[in-house]
Amino acid sequence: MAFFGINLKKGHIEQEYGIHWKKDKGFYIFSRILIIISIIIILVPILYIFSLSLRTKETIYQDFMFLIPKEFTLQNYADAAEYAKIHLNVSFLEMFRNSIIATSVSIVFALIIGALASFSFSNYKFRGKEFTFTAIIVSFVIPAQVLLIPLFFILRKIGVINTYFAIIIPYIGFLVPIAVLILRSFFEQIPKEIKESAKIDGASDFRIFAQIVLPLSKPAIATCIILLFLETWNEFIFALVFLQNPKLQTIPVAIAQIAGGKYIVPIGTYSAAIMITIIPVLIIFIIFQRWFISGMTLGALKG
Amino acid sequence: MKLDYRNNPSSFQHFWSNTGQPYLFLLPALIVFAAVVLSPVVMSLILSFYKFTGFDANVFKNFTGFDNFRILFNDKYFWIAFRNNFYFLAANITVQIAFALFLAIVIYFGRFRNSVLIRTIIFFPAVLAPVSISLAWRRILQQDGLINAILNIDFSWLSSIQLAIWIVISVSIWQWTGYNLVIFYAALQSVDRTILEASDVDGANWWGKIFRIVIPVLVPAIILNVILNLIGSFRVFDIVYVLTRGGPVHQSEVLTTLMYYYSFSANGPNKMGVGSSIAFVMFFIMIIFGILRIRLIKSEGV
Repeated sequence: MAFFGINLKKGHIEQEYGIHWKKDKGFYIFSRILIIISIIIILVPILYIFSLSLRTKETIYQDFMFLIPKEFTLQNYADAAEYAKIHLNVSFLEMFRNSIIATSVSIVFALIIGALASFSFSNYKFRGKEFTFTAIIVSFVIPAQVLLIPLFFILRKIGVINTYFAIIIPYIGFLVPIAVLILRSFFEQIPKEIKESAKIDGASDFRIFAQIVLPLSKPAIATCIILLFLETWNEFIFALVFLQNPKLQTIPVAIAQIAGGKYIVPIGTYSAAIMITIIPVLIIFIIFQRWFISGMTLGALKG
Repeated sequence: MKLDYRNNPSSFQHFWSNTGQPYLFLLPALIVFAAVVLSPVVMSLILSFYKFTGFDANVFKNFTGFDNFRILFNDKYFWIAFRNNFYFLAANITVQIAFALFLAIVIYFGRFRNSVLIRTIIFFPAVLAPVSISLAWRRILQQDGLINAILNIDFSWLSSIQLAIWIVISVSIWQWTGYNLVIFYAALQSVDRTILEASDVDGANWWGKIFRIVIPVLVPAIILNVILNLIGSFRVFDIVYVLTRGGPVHQSEVLTTLMYYYSFSANGPNKMGVGSSIAFVMFFIMIIFGILRIRLIKSEGV
């Protein structure tokens, strides 16, 4: 499998070619310094917000530069929950519930629809195949915001604005092309012999799809889920416009209101609210980090 | 004996198994595509010739010809938004790609024992919601924030007319450099190590190695990253919305935020027709890029 000349063989072991300390001390030292600076630039903003979220009101302005607060408190997290309930009219539990429902329902539907389409693309030759496929790729390139105004009226017409469906329907539309891009090429690699021998045994095409192709594609489906998860979990503008009811707001939309809102938010509360959005993603990222990187690379290469 | 319908061309089942089935499997995706992508795109293009607001029940009532485009092209903030998208584009395809490429090569050549960990950390911001990142940077850039504390100055970064858009672009670069980096790193795996080792024997300096051996292999990955950034820089919304709301005085507006301002913002003019014409402009630009991208994908023989 090669995309843009990039090798992505399964089980490909990264070999190390590199400059030896003995041969090139200058580069060796330079590379260490550069990487340390890069890591600091990436980590300090996040650690700084984390540190602010743990400080007491009295120490928030003390030791501004130091990441480790002298006194720890979790009060800010309780304040953030309280703030959300009072000023944003949505509790943290509701926010998470909304995000989880919107994300999981969209992903399940997009995966089923995308897998069926990918099976069609990979298993048959038919008229209009490449044209349909290209149309789906193009829809992946169009900025979603182009669809915002018309979808607003269409979804209002069918009466789903301010329900979960208002975002689930558009999300499925955005996710299916991603699923097709990933799954089609994976399905195409499944050896024909396996499918043919099942066919000789009298299995219908749908059974071949459900009982042979899908189980063999678990890694591709996992990659797919990661990509689709990030697309929906972090999505902002559609959730912002289509869900006016605060009780239904997803995490990004609800949390975004602490910036430029009508009320002054204490620094500690503000930082705690940000961390509540970061920590779950961080945990998922740590558990599935390999999948994240390979998934997002693959998504880019194919998309 | 079981009757094999495959040999009976007149039967209904024969049709399904030979001609109909591919379309049957494709049907749900086609319905979704038609309902969520195709018809809204067409509707959006048509709507840019109508005058309507978010409260109208029938949006196709006031046909106004090119009025929306006239309003738009006479709006100086449209040109600022347009310019800002190209600033985004320029910074992304030069600074961001250069950072990513440079870091990828340094990590590749550097013999880091924990190269995976390093890449994972630099990549991490790419998985976070742009909203969370923007909120974090908003705090850091406040007058009593970390940046001013480090530089020991008192400056309001986000309300600076000249700097605001560049601050937004910097935050975007901070988030997405790692993403471009892992793509470069994946591409670096196809560099032929024997050639590098042979050049070591010949005593080649490492600038020569990078520009003669490594960069040529990375050209496809560079093109890919350029295309990704072309698309990304016209999609950007969340970061601008949270960091500056397009302000101060619309100086950091981009096309998407201007569209939001015209169409949905509570303190905007509620001129959705003009918003649709912005969508029209964005669609037009992306179709050009999209054709370019598909051409490239096809020429790569994928």
